[in-house]
Amino acid sequence: MTTADTQVPAGRARPRSRPGPAWHSASTMRTRRRIWRSTGYLLLIAISAATVFPFVWMVLTSVRRRDTVFGGGIIPDEITFDAYQRSWSQLDYPSHFLTTLVITTITVAVVVALATLGGYAFAKLRFPFRNLLYVILLSTLMLPVTAIILPLFLQLRSLHLLGTRQGLILVYIGTSLPFAMFLMRAFFTTLPDELIQAARADGAGEFTIFRKIMLPLAAPGVATVVIFQFMTTWNEFLYAQTFLQNPDYLPLQPVLYTIVGQYSTDWPLMCASLTMSVLPIVLVYMRMQRRFVAGLTLGAVKS
Amino acid sequence: MSIVRAAGPGAVLRPRSREAVIGYIFIAPIVAFFAVFVGYPFLRSLYLSLSEWSGFGEPRFVGLDNFQFMVGDPVFWKAVGTTFMFTAATTILQTVLPLLLAVLMNCRWRGTVIYRTLLFVPAVISFVVTGVLWQLIYEPNLGTLNEALRTVGLDGLAQPWLADPHLVVPALIVVSLWQSAGLYMLIFLAGLQGIDPTLYEAARIDGAGPVQQFRRVTVPTLRTVTGVVVLLNLINGFKTFDLIYVMTGGGPNRASEVLGTYLYGLAFGNESGGTPSFGYATAISMVIFVLCMIVTLAQLRISRRAS
Repeated sequence: MTTADTQVPAGRARPRSRPGPAWHSASTMRTRRRIWRSTGYLLLIAISAATVFPFVWMVLTSVRRRDTVFGGGIIPDEITFDAYQRSWSQLDYPSHFLTTLVITTITVAVVVALATLGGYAFAKLRFPFRNLLYVILLSTLMLPVTAIILPLFLQLRSLHLLGTRQGLILVYIGTSLPFAMFLMRAFFTTLPDELIQAARADGAGEFTIFRKIMLPLAAPGVATVVIFQFMTTWNEFLYAQTFLQNPDYLPLQPVLYTIVGQYSTDWPLMCASLTMSVLPIVLVYMRMQRRFVAGLTLGAVKS
Repeated sequence: MSIVRAAGPGAVLRPRSREAVIGYIFIAPIVAFFAVFVGYPFLRSLYLSLSEWSGFGEPRFVGLDNFQFMVGDPVFWKAVGTTFMFTAATTILQTVLPLLLAVLMNCRWRGTVIYRTLLFVPAVISFVVTGVLWQLIYEPNLGTLNEALRTVGLDGLAQPWLADPHLVVPALIVVSLWQSAGLYMLIFLAGLQGIDPTLYEAARIDGAGPVQQFRRVTVPTLRTVTGVVVLLNLINGFKTFDLIYVMTGGGPNRASEVLGTYLYGLAFGNESGGTPSFGYATAISMVIFVLCMIVTLAQLRISRRAS
């Protein structure tokens, strides 16, 4: 991994230093180009391989027999799905998987609905204190989770929601909304104001304008927010780990956190559990790559 | 486009105020959620950071005592040092390498989409999965890394990566780089694709080679994007928690203790003998928040002066 990455500057430097005296006679532009390109391909392939290697290794380990994990080649001699079965029953995997799915689905639905409404209002409607409210909502975007997790814990306790999935969902919604709203606002701002003005001139109500005209046009934005929110909620660990104590209610991430200590010798079981937890995300990513990338890069450039 | 005529009860209001009422209705749920789950907790944090509290009874206001204690707390300063080292290393590596990678990727290659897809996969995976996976890779006796080193005859290089106080932070930095290089590369790539190709043409006509083109055209035009990447890296570095919590919990012997893991231990873990110090933990979280604020404001000033 490290070696592959540190090759980047070295590899870039190489073609520069090649056309020295030794190459002088043979070095037409053509061969130089060819060296350039093969170095480039070599680098790209090496870096990509180093990046995916841990995943390939994870999947390969998950289908090994438990007693043949160590020693031997990278490719297992014999493939078995025992580890998946063990994870399924010993970790009570289906129930945690379902819990995660339910929590994520509810969170995504509520966040997207409310963020769309709010994003539209901040982008297209005029009302007093609009900018002030917007700045306040966004000022906390870089608040570290660790800075509000303790008061959130107290908050849930006083609402008698500590240790419940409902409480966790409410926290997810509350903490995700500002950023989701920011994304939706960005999409709505790109839509022309004339559409709204024309509709108003025709006497359409504000809610009708939103639902019938603007919302359909913002569908790509909605899709981006759905995917982004799905990923962050599915992957969230710290809130779930801190607010839920009952092992029956736990979503996947806190469960996966404990497997190293619990099944330290059963590597196929660990890898099978990881593989299953990653599957939904990777599938969604592969299918909707463009939206995913748009969501994440937009997410990154938020400031 | 069908436009439905509606003359609801709000029609008595003048158009402007009608718009305002609808606006408030639309943002009401967000504002309510924000107030309960972000705004109020944050204000409470401010107060708690000035109090002493172990979770029972009422917090006792102690002014700046927590911050005074912080100044003399060696663990805090150790965590500060580790946090800054981790942040500095990840910021440099996760800016320079993704930039070079993006430049490479921006040339025409067969199968660019495939490389891009593969490089980005780690960014969609949770910290827990990343942490567990790399714990297995780094495992000293049977882990893949040491196995591989032994297979190629480099037995001497095999190390207890996460158990060695000198190696643990670099080992964590590698994992961080593995996870986020693809994301930052994509941000750079988006920036590169926005560069006017005539700039390169002009540079070529002036006789600039690839390296000069990179230095004279690419780097200056990407200044804003680079600023954003650096800022994100700094903020994520100061805030870093999940990966380290999952992989080492701050160990061995606090060698990888950062501000995030220290304060979490103070509030929810076994620090200070099982009695949570909520006040002190919150005070440390305020330090992280202020660090993030400072770099954000600095970046805003720099980018404003540049434009």
